[in-house]
Amino acid sequence: MPAFVRFWGTRGSIPTPGHQTRRYGGNTSCVELRMDGALLVCDGGTGLRELGLDLRRRMPEGVEAHLFFSHMHWDHIQGFPFFVPAYSPESRLHVYETTPGDDRVRRLLHGQMKSEYFPVSFSELGATIEARYFSNRELWVRGVRVRCFEQPHPGRSFAFSFEHEGKKIVYATDSELDSCVCDPLLREREPEALRRLPADLVRFIEGADLLIADGQYTDAEYPSKRGWGHASAATVVDLAVQAGVRQCAIFHHDPMHSDDVVEEKIQVCRARARTHGSELVVFGAREGVELKL
Amino acid sequence: MIVSEDRFGFDSDSTLVGEPGALTGWGPIRRPPRLELLQGPGAPRAFDLLADEMVIGRSSQVEICIESQLMSRRHAALRRSGPDVRLVDLESANGVYLNGVRVHSAGLLEGDTIQIGDVLFVYREGG
Ligand SMILES: [Zn+2]
Ligand SMILES: [Zn+2]
Repeated sequence: MPAFVRFWGTRGSIPTPGHQTRRYGGNTSCVELRMDGALLVCDGGTGLRELGLDLRRRMPEGVEAHLFFSHMHWDHIQGFPFFVPAYSPESRLHVYETTPGDDRVRRLLHGQMKSEYFPVSFSELGATIEARYFSNRELWVRGVRVRCFEQPHPGRSFAFSFEHEGKKIVYATDSELDSCVCDPLLREREPEALRRLPADLVRFIEGADLLIADGQYTDAEYPSKRGWGHASAATVVDLAVQAGVRQCAIFHHDPMHSDDVVEEKIQVCRARARTHGSELVVFGAREGVELKL
Repeated sequence: MIVSEDRFGFDSDSTLVGEPGALTGWGPIRRPPRLELLQGPGAPRAFDLLADEMVIGRSSQVEICIESQLMSRRHAALRRSGPDVRLVDLESANGVYLNGVRVHSAGLLEGDTIQIGDVLFVYREGG
């Protein structure tokens, strides 16, 4: 059975409407996966609003969705109060907590709908909203094996891997990969050389048909953004090459980057994959694009 | 006719709909979105996208018929909603490549290239 992936929001940090960002899109993180009949949603940035409107058209009888939040920074949760299915008594939403007993995701979704921030409270949502927990960083949704992996990001974030019938998709945003490169001085010494990343991270991603990864910065920008929690796109390419990934979507585009700058960043990534002798397919995640794997 | 074909160059205004004088500002769309065939059998040629759904394929029954062996009989659809056009692969054998990346579907934007086997199109937004 094929898997489908659709990008509803690919921008990092803050929405960026306008002509300069039309091609890759201005909505913040939200990716829809459909695997084995399950609707899996990665993050609830502003792209989630449009996904909700589309789901209402596609599933008027009610939506069952599984929501995975990488972490709770604004650009990953702001679409939730505008997610139309959350208001429908016919909907069932499963919200996943990465740590057993921790109610952080539900608590913060709740918190951003306090009356100081938003006119409708969480308790007024009509949908059945249930918390589910990973145990030992793994769980199953229908026939889909889902695993999570902690990433370097202020306040930490999680990557998710979804596997079904030999297909593997990894969603790994908001991760400062450059902070865990095995040889931290390599980028200055030999910028073109392959940056080795920790073995457990490589194993987590290994063999993915599609890796969707935070590649917010260019190599030139990264040094001035150290500690902000995001990766240089070149390092993402190196991770994908090491992990034998087939396709890599560079995601979480910088709000300061116009479409032309993103395009240039992607060209540099493609050249880098070729330099490593890899056939990796690299592209910039673009709002509205749907892939079938 | 659902699709108006233009064999006289891409800049021709012969397929304008409505009265140009009344169509400035935020008024209705003056020029429909268009698909330009750059490479492949029959190129160069342009198709104005006037209907809600138009199919690209090898079959003589489809709106945008291209006689390429690498094209499925009904290969891909262009679905229009107002000024927006969405490209959808109709379970074709050889797939649809948007700017070089294989996609199942995508909203089209000015200058996007669509490659199907040996056939290359470029998409032009309406204005
Ligand atoms: Zn973010
Ligand atoms: Zn973050």
